[in-house]
Amino acid sequence: MSSGPDGRPPIPRGWVRHPRERMLITPLMAGIGGMLAFFTVVFIVVWLPIHTFDPPASADWAPLSKQALQGRNLFASNGCYVCHSGYSRPQDVRAALYFLYPKVSQPGDFYGNDQSPNILGTERTGPDLSQESGWHPDDWQRAHFYDPRFVDPMSLMPDMKSLFSNAQVDDLVSFVEQRSGKSGLLRYAGQLYAKHVATANQGFPQPYTGFTGAHKPIVGAKPDKALTPPKGQIPEVANLAQIDRSYWLSADPLPVTEANLLRGKEVFLQRCVGCHGLNGDGKGPAATFMSPPPADFTSADDACCGGDTGPGDFYYRILHGWPGTAMENFGERLSVDDIWRVVLFVKTIPNHTLRPNVVPEPSDYITWQPSKDLLTWVKTRQKIADNASFQKKPPTDPFMQEAMRMFPGLSAADHFKLNDRKTPLSLQDAAAGIKTIYEDLLNRAWADAKARGEKLPPVSQRSIPPTVPGQE
Amino acid sequence: MARAGAAVLEPHAPEGAEARRRFPYPDSAARHWIISSIVWLTIVDLFGLVLATEFVTPEAFGGISWLSFSRVRPSHVNGVILAWLTMMYFGALFYMLPRLVGTRGMWSERLGVICAWAWNVMFLLGVVGLLTGHSQGREYGELIWPIDIALLVIWCANTVNILATVAIRTIRPIYVSVWFFIASPLWLATDYAIGNVIWRPGHVWGAPSGALTGSLSDAMLNWWYAHNLFGLWLTPMLLALTYYIVPRVTNTPLYSYTLSLVSFWGMAFFYTGVGDHHILQSPTPAWLKTIAEVSSWMLLVPVFAFTINILGTMKGNWDRFFTNLPLRFTMTAFFFYFLVNIQGAFEAIQPFNKLTHFTNFVVAHAHLALLGAFTILGMGVIDYIVAQIYAKPLFSRSLSEWQYWLVTVGFTGFFSVLTLAGFQQGFNWQAGIPEVNVLPELHPYYIARGIFGAMIVVSGIVQMVNIGLTITTNTAERRRRETLVVAEAIAPPPVTT
Repeated sequence: MSSGPDGRPPIPRGWVRHPRERMLITPLMAGIGGMLAFFTVVFIVVWLPIHTFDPPASADWAPLSKQALQGRNLFASNGCYVCHSGYSRPQDVRAALYFLYPKVSQPGDFYGNDQSPNILGTERTGPDLSQESGWHPDDWQRAHFYDPRFVDPMSLMPDMKSLFSNAQVDDLVSFVEQRSGKSGLLRYAGQLYAKHVATANQGFPQPYTGFTGAHKPIVGAKPDKALTPPKGQIPEVANLAQIDRSYWLSADPLPVTEANLLRGKEVFLQRCVGCHGLNGDGKGPAATFMSPPPADFTSADDACCGGDTGPGDFYYRILHGWPGTAMENFGERLSVDDIWRVVLFVKTIPNHTLRPNVVPEPSDYITWQPSKDLLTWVKTRQKIADNASFQKKPPTDPFMQEAMRMFPGLSAADHFKLNDRKTPLSLQDAAAGIKTIYEDLLNRAWADAKARGEKLPPVSQRSIPPTVPGQE
Repeated sequence: MARAGAAVLEPHAPEGAEARRRFPYPDSAARHWIISSIVWLTIVDLFGLVLATEFVTPEAFGGISWLSFSRVRPSHVNGVILAWLTMMYFGALFYMLPRLVGTRGMWSERLGVICAWAWNVMFLLGVVGLLTGHSQGREYGELIWPIDIALLVIWCANTVNILATVAIRTIRPIYVSVWFFIASPLWLATDYAIGNVIWRPGHVWGAPSGALTGSLSDAMLNWWYAHNLFGLWLTPMLLALTYYIVPRVTNTPLYSYTLSLVSFWGMAFFYTGVGDHHILQSPTPAWLKTIAEVSSWMLLVPVFAFTINILGTMKGNWDRFFTNLPLRFTMTAFFFYFLVNIQGAFEAIQPFNKLTHFTNFVVAHAHLALLGAFTILGMGVIDYIVAQIYAKPLFSRSLSEWQYWLVTVGFTGFFSVLTLAGFQQGFNWQAGIPEVNVLPELHPYYIARGIFGAMIVVSGIVQMVNIGLTITTNTAERRRRETLVVAEAIAPPPVTT
């Protein structure tokens, strides 16, 4: 029997290796073996999902217009996605933040090759923007881009005035207003139509474009004599049309106490002074961007925002915003009580309660006295029983639903003219107008996408009507 | 530290050319990469401080477009990974590899030096691009296409240098660290090329560029790539460096060969598939999320193998934890590394992810890995290597102590504050409170984060000063004089008459 070098019987050659050599890693093994392991997993977690996961366009999907796509590229290359996520998660919608997260993002919402690069994001320092379209008008967006604290004093967002040119900021606004698919375009169309109504009714010009508003005076309305309501109509008709009629004559449910007024002042200083100004005169730093400009609360009678305005009107506008003006909704950010407290406080501003170190007293409160004209009008022409939302069968047409969202104060039978005595104001006209704007936006986006050679779903997808989230 | 210690004890410790003759490694590549990395550390730290300041007062740098939060944050993230940590790792690799495979220096030291300069220029251009709004707009893949290509070319040159050094080795079996030195650069080069979609340059100077066309496909690729920056480069290199430093400093053989096999192959198989856990709440395929969740837990296998292996090696050597600073840095990093994996495993499963996703908890987790583990390790490794390369003790032990305590305390505070802020956000959002209403509650956390962050910045600057003085002064002579003063105080020389 032969023996090995150390006197022990040798280990037979073959596939069995010496124990000391067993599992010894050579450079080839580390390199090639490591790469084999890597590529095996890459095949499963990269190649496979990318080549098998191809969801069709969802019914809500819409392409981006040329300008919106330029805005998207600016959004990506300037790092906006590091704070703003690009999809709303199931738990967001479950939190019932209707204005921020009206729906859960679906795979089909990300269809098409203009959605590149992804901007899903990993952190949420600011709110999600996937459903942002249409909640704010363009002029609000411009003021917000210029300096976010102009419109939201609590914001942490960096100002963008040094980052973008006038043309670029309009691209960004276009992206933000058109990124949320068809439901977003519908909201945006409603917003544009309401802007048309709000400016035509009081004779305001179009807002300044880009950042030019920062260096311009506050826009003014046409002189009153050019804007008298048609015969038999009061001047407040268009204003009332944007407030649910159940709120028109509502009083403030909270007592006028010092505590309530003081809390109202606190909230006003936290949220409202960017636009309405530290004196409540509507001359905050954001005011020059906006048309119609922010409301002036310093007048002692009840005229505000172009007409007689009661506590219920104020409440509804803070809760839901005033589409068409830059007034945004605070329904998710303020409690119901706080909104009513702000309403109480606003009616003390003419008595200089906004001065520093002044505690508003109940004696500063100016009680609302609805004008006789208004009471008569409400009694004879716009009965509460005709509230459009009391219909047993709500309309299913999304444009009519959107028109009712923009003009909750109109009933189906109401047909008015605005104070310029030519523009019609009715739910039917609004639905038709919103539909025209919506289709124009959608068709232009499709044409732009086609011209770019984008991957598009079948044309039938385009004609699927939009949905009003929450009502589908 | 044995050699540095010898320099103190020997009355005429060699310096300069004499020292290089006795310690024959040229180490010029290692020197260039390491010293560059120390400078980058302070730069990227300062980016972080700018961000922390903007969280407290968003208008602190109002009007300066290139200090805008949205542009500085990608610069901070890319800088930490690609400038500071990558340069530190390559420097350490160029130092350790020749010593492990028995060659006199790298295959080409000159190539390593050229690559160091090229890398610095490349990244400087990349950062200038990011700060001026030239970005691909994909998280962790922001650098524009030409920079991506330059990065890959330099990376491949480094890889060739490494593989050639292994090929000309004189010690046949290769040590655990060398497995990672071979595999990890290969993994990352592939990961970077695929993840940055370099075959689709698009609009070369900005977005869209280097991305897949479908948003969700691009997101899946993006997060697979981003997580593998850690999984296939930063973490394996942490393992490799720890596998080198701990046995070397404690003068103890590695506890178990088998466990290191488990950690190597476990990492190769399980780390590659976890990326989708970043987008668990997004509308991506459920099966991919499942793979990501399972892989994230399976990762604990190599993590525990590594942990046991290092603890086994440390057995009986814990006294050196208190006396040897590089070892203390390494073991602190080792502890944070263990913690980040446990935390990450929980963070990667749906129920927990629902709460913490999108919050500052994730930011705390990212800093636990990149700051607590990789950066603290890097600081210790640099202290160790510089003393070795220059064959002299560090300029000041107390500066090193300051550096250690500043970064450890600063980081611990930073991490705790952000974790609490993350829970605050998560629970508030779950209760239906919108983001902007939570901001006032976060303000105190943001202030504390800024203060702790400043401590970390100071720690980096202390190290930069200490290393700079070590290189420029004759620390051996200085140490000898100090010793002499002490010696004379104890036993004054006899008075000659």
